Order: sequence, then structure tokens, then C-alpha cells
Amino acid sequence: MASDIQEALLDFVCNSFFVQRDDFDHSDSLIDQGVIDSFGLVEIAAFMEKKFGIKVTENDMIREYFGSIHKMERFIELKMSGEIK
Amino acid sequence: MCGIAGILNKAFSASTDTRLIERMLATIEHRGPDGWGTYSSDGIHLGHVRLSIVDLSGGHQPMMTDKYVISFNGEVYNHIELRAELESLGATFHTTCDTEVIIKAYEQWGMDAVKKFNGQFAFLLWDRQEKRLIIARDRYAIRPLYVLNHQGAIYFASEIKAFDPIPGYRRELDMDNLFEHALFWNTLADKTVYKNIRSVPGGTYEIYSTDGLSVQERYYSLGESTPDLPANFNAACAELRETLKDATRLRLRSDVPVGAYLSGGIDSSVITHLVSQINRERLQTFSVAFEDDDFDESSYQQDMIRQLSSEHYELKISYKMVEENFYNVIHHTDRPLFRTAPVPLYLLSDAVRKAGFKVVLTGEASDEVLWGYDSYKELKLLQFWAKHPESKLRPQLIKRLYPHLKHFNDPRQFGLMRMYYEGFLDSYDNEMASLNIRVSNNSILKNYFNRDRKVVLDKEKLLADVKETLPKDYYDWSLLQRNQYMEMRTLLSGYLLSSQGDRMSMAHSVEGRYPFLDHRLIEQSFHYPAAYKMHVLSQKHILRETFRKDIPASIIDRPKLPYMAPDLKSFFAGGTLSERASDLLSEKKLKDYGVFDSTMVNRFISKYERNVPEKLGYRDNMLICFLLSTQYLLDAPPTIKVSPLSPELRTVTIADHV
Repeated sequence: MASDIQEALLDFVCNSFFVQRDDFDHSDSLIDQGVIDSFGLVEIAAFMEKKFGIKVTENDMIREYFGSIHKMERFIELKMSGEIK
Repeated sequence: MCGIAGILNKAFSASTDTRLIERMLATIEHRGPDGWGTYSSDGIHLGHVRLSIVDLSGGHQPMMTDKYVISFNGEVYNHIELRAELESLGATFHTTCDTEVIIKAYEQWGMDAVKKFNGQFAFLLWDRQEKRLIIARDRYAIRPLYVLNHQGAIYFASEIKAFDPIPGYRRELDMDNLFEHALFWNTLADKTVYKNIRSVPGGTYEIYSTDGLSVQERYYSLGESTPDLPANFNAACAELRETLKDATRLRLRSDVPVGAYLSGGIDSSVITHLVSQINRERLQTFSVAFEDDDFDESSYQQDMIRQLSSEHYELKISYKMVEENFYNVIHHTDRPLFRTAPVPLYLLSDAVRKAGFKVVLTGEASDEVLWGYDSYKELKLLQFWAKHPESKLRPQLIKRLYPHLKHFNDPRQFGLMRMYYEGFLDSYDNEMASLNIRVSNNSILKNYFNRDRKVVLDKEKLLADVKETLPKDYYDWSLLQRNQYMEMRTLLSGYLLSSQGDRMSMAHSVEGRYPFLDHRLIEQSFHYPAAYKMHVLSQKHILRETFRKDIPASIIDRPKLPYMAPDLKSFFAGGTLSERASDLLSEKKLKDYGVFDSTMVNRFISKYERNVPEKLGYRDNMLICFLLSTQYLLDAPPTIKVSPLSPELRTVTIADHV
């Protein structure tokens, strides 16, 4: 069962980048799969801040957090729980 | 500059094929409105439409001697020197035209003659005795030449649309090639987006017997020379100045007036400066300006115009002009586009022609030859990155990659950029060089293809296909030299010189000339130390330093701004998708042609009908242009001109039957 965070992320990605959920692997990088370009990363970061009330800093911009839908979901959870400042 | 056509047909029919060659020529009449001619013999037809630039009263084509007949498009700029050399060897001439020099050079040197030509050309040369056809194209594929195999006959033409009048033939897109075109913005090797149509690669010649293709030979490959390197940077600057000046001087050879384009960047500024040094007459310059300030470079253009005191014409481009003329542009390119950038150049050549000019010089290809593109910087950055994974300099270097992109002003966005480039650390130094990045960015287009078409992104196959095309020296070159090869063989020849160059100027019978594509300059500079061309991350370093005192400081040191026109915004100018675009992307037409997924296309359109944001990304601009241009090509009727060529303009009719 997908979490609300994952649902919101997938909705955003599908609506903004004109893909369907089964077009891409949710465990693989959106960039490497050609779903988004660098401009797309900017849009996703802005969406996270607005939707989840978190602050995305330069140090957060690593593949471990932004590499895939699942990694982004985990990142948002860690940010919201305060485990990443 | 002209248009050429030919038919090689064993099942020859004198009357049918004669009418057909005239109909083929009629579709490319814009390439040569000053006169036309045909040659026919058993099994062979040649045709020519002429834009007269050199030897206005002579030089009609096809041109025949006792052994050969030629249909030639382009210029051999060093024809005066070659003529003198040939005369010293006993040749005699009847015209002052470069066409005759080509024939006599071939008589003297055989196929080695093409290696002596400094120019831009494509020709069809029929050997009347040996009954064979020799075709060739210039080193960098400046002038076009397409070949179609259809029902046992072989057809040749300057533009793909010239094949449309062939009885029983209808162009058909090849889906694999179309997707490859989407990934590279060009097809690899000699492919085109159409089945059975090849584009003769630059720097090659082919020989055909009446049975078909018998010889295919590459006569030029980038970096093939081993010139003496200048002693130091200053000596290289002096050499560059001298060669570029001579390249410009040769390209001013013309019996009609020559103008120049000014973009506001360093390349065209350098060329116009050199023209003003060589020619003391007042120069006529032309430029494009935009109503949308984001694209406008007119303040830089004005700086150069003041210095040159040139007679200047500026064409101001609106969203509406882009939208209205986009489809005429696709008619001329005969292939899908990814940008609207050719549209202003299409309109500018119209203005040039109306101002009484047939020839313009431009700064094209400096970015490939002297490393001006971002792709060179990106690769250098990735090289540094791979070597020094923990370096604290990395954020600074990323900032220097795109100083002109406003949305990276926020420091945290650099983190995203860094992450984006990390994805290429494993692949950036393979054979595709920066094409890895281009393919990755463009692979998004795959999602818009109809799933029934089953287009596949197979990166390993792409890499293998690219490897097939490489010259033998490739592995001796540096990464940035390899990138130059890739840029020149893909984007330059297949897109910038054709869709944005030849097709846009010739649409209005204007010939573009490109001093940076003089092979002497390219061969010299190819072997310069890398730091001469890219100093840290400063692009075209040697060009800036060579001409620093000649060009206004505002232009020399400005950040590079890619030439662009408004893309998506032009089609949504009224808040909704324009009428013509809506028709082409309608549910019915998407289903009729079956290339694209209508759900995906509709979703895309709906997003922008809700709101077109101020800033748009690369991908969506590319997507709208690709969708519309492909649908247009599928929707447009074949190019068959109802009105024939004017009989009064017929200059040559040769019936050479035994």
C-alpha cells in the first residue's frame, strides 16, 4: 500500500512530466530514466517544500535522497521527522 | 548555389523520365530561380536549377564537355587558384565559372580532385564514356545530397521533397530512424527519417554504374592532417587570424553583392570585422531581434553595428510570426524539428533576398570548431569530477556552467545540478562523449510515441551504432576532440547546417557562407592544445584573445547565450493552443497517423491550456516542436508543383542519345 507521501509524489510527477505510473521504475533515478531533466529536479524540490512544509537545502541534493520516487519518499519522511535537519 | 536532381534508371524511358526530372526540379525551384536545365542520355537524367552568383552569363548547367556532364550545387572558393594550376598543366577553359573547374580537375586528378576543393558543394558527374555516375559532397556536409532507391531506379536530389513527384512513390517515416532522430536531433551515418532515403555523408564520394552503387569512399575525415603546431599561444592566435581572414576573403568571391548576418555574439562579430578589413565598401548586415526580451540580443548587435558603420537591417520577431511560419519551415526542412529557432532565419533570408542580396556570410560552426558549446564545459567538468571526487571546487565549477540561467541563482539548485551530472559519471567518457547527455535529455520523447509502435531506447545498441561510424584515429584523441567529432557529425551537419542553415536560406534563394568551416582552419585548430580553445571553463578562448582588440568588449566577454526563439509560448500565444496546432494534434489526426500516444499528448496540451508559466524547460519546448512538426509531415500532401518551370528560364537542354 503506497503511503500518502508516495501518492502525492507520484501525482505530481505524473501530472507535471506527463508520464503514467507504470511508465517508469519507482526504485530507479527519474533522470536516468529520462522522466525529468535538471529543470525537473528544481520543480520537484519546490513541490516538496510547498506540499510538505520542509526546507530543502543544498546539502540535501544527493542521489541518496533524490535518486528515485522511493528515495524521495524516504527523504521527505526523514525531513518531516527531523532526522535530517 | 543551386538545386540538383538526377535519375539513374536502367529501364529508361526518354519521355517519361524527362518529364519527371522537370517535375523534380520544380519542387526545389526556390534553390535556383535564375534558370534551369536538363541532360538526358540512355539510363541517366540530370537536372539543375540555378542561383547565379559566379559567371552570371556563362556557367549554365548541366555543363557538358566531350567526356563528362555535371550538375553541381555550391561553391568551390579556390577555383581561381585551381584554374591557374590546371592551366599550367595544359587545361583550357571556356567559362570563368567554378563548375568548369570541377570537371577539369576531375579530368586531371580523378577522385583526388575533391581533396583539393575548398568549398561547400554537392555534385552529380556523369562519365559519358564509362557510363558511370560520380557523386560527392563537401567535407562537412554543408550542401545537401539525398539518394532514394525506388522500384529499381536510383534518384538523387538536393532536397527530399524532390522525390515526391516520382510515380508510385510516397514518403514513409521509419519509426526507428524517427526515434533516433529524436534522440540525437539527427539520424546517424547516412540514414534519414524516411525509409529508402539516404543522406550522402559529408566528405564522401560514391560511384554508380547503371547497375547501382559500386564504390563508396570517405575522402576526408576530421583531424586527418598533421600540421606543424604553432610554437606558443600567441603564434596560434596569429595563425588563427591569418587563416580565418583568408577563409573570409575566399568566401567574398562573388559576382553579386555579399552581406553578413550579425547575431550579437562573438562569431559573427569577428566575421563582419574581417569583412570590413578586406572590403572597404560599406557592409550590409542583417539581424534578428525579438519582441520577447528573453531572446533578444539587439543591444549587442548595435554595439557591433556602430563599430562597423554598416548598413543594417533588423527583423523583429513576434510569437505570432513564429507560429504562422513554423509550418512553411517544416515544408522546407522535410524532417521534424525540436526548436522554432529556424523560423526567424527563414524570415530573415526573405528580407535579405528582398534587399537584393543572394549571398550572406555567417559565424556558423565556431562553437563546434573552437569549443564554444556547453557540452565541452560539461565534459571537462565531469572529467575533473571523476578525478577529484571530493574537491570543494565542484560547486563553483557548476556555477560557471550556466551563468545565464536565472533559475540557478538559488544556491541550493546547484545541488540539483550536481546530482544531475553525477548520473553521467559512468558514461561521459565512452565513445558518445556529450551525446550521452543529449540522449538522456531527449529520451523523454519516447513516452509520447504510440505504444503500438514499440520504439525502444537501447543505449547499448546506440553506442554500438555510434562506434560503427568512428574514424580510425578516434581513440587517439582527447575527450573534447572526440566531442568535436560528435558535434560536427550529428548536430552541426544534420541540424544546424541543414534545417537551420541550407534549407532556411535557400527557401528564399539566399546562399549562406561559413568561414569557420574552412577545412584549413578546422584542421589547424583541431590539433591545438586543449587549453588554447578551453581555458579552465572559458570557451573559444583563442578566438576571444585573438580578436579582443577588434571587437567591442561588451561582446568579447559576454556569457554565451544559445541562439533560440520562443517555442511553446508561440503556439499558446492566445492562452490556448493555436488553431493549426490544435488541428494537427487533434484526437482524430493523432489516431489517423498513429505515431503518438493521444492520451499523453492531450495531457500535455491540457497542462498548458490551464497556464503557461513564465519560465519553461528544455523538454517541453522540444516536445511541442517535435509533435507538431512530425504531425505536419504526416499530414501535408506530397510536394507536387502544379505550375511547371518557366520555359523562358530554360538555359540548357541536352539530349545525348546514341
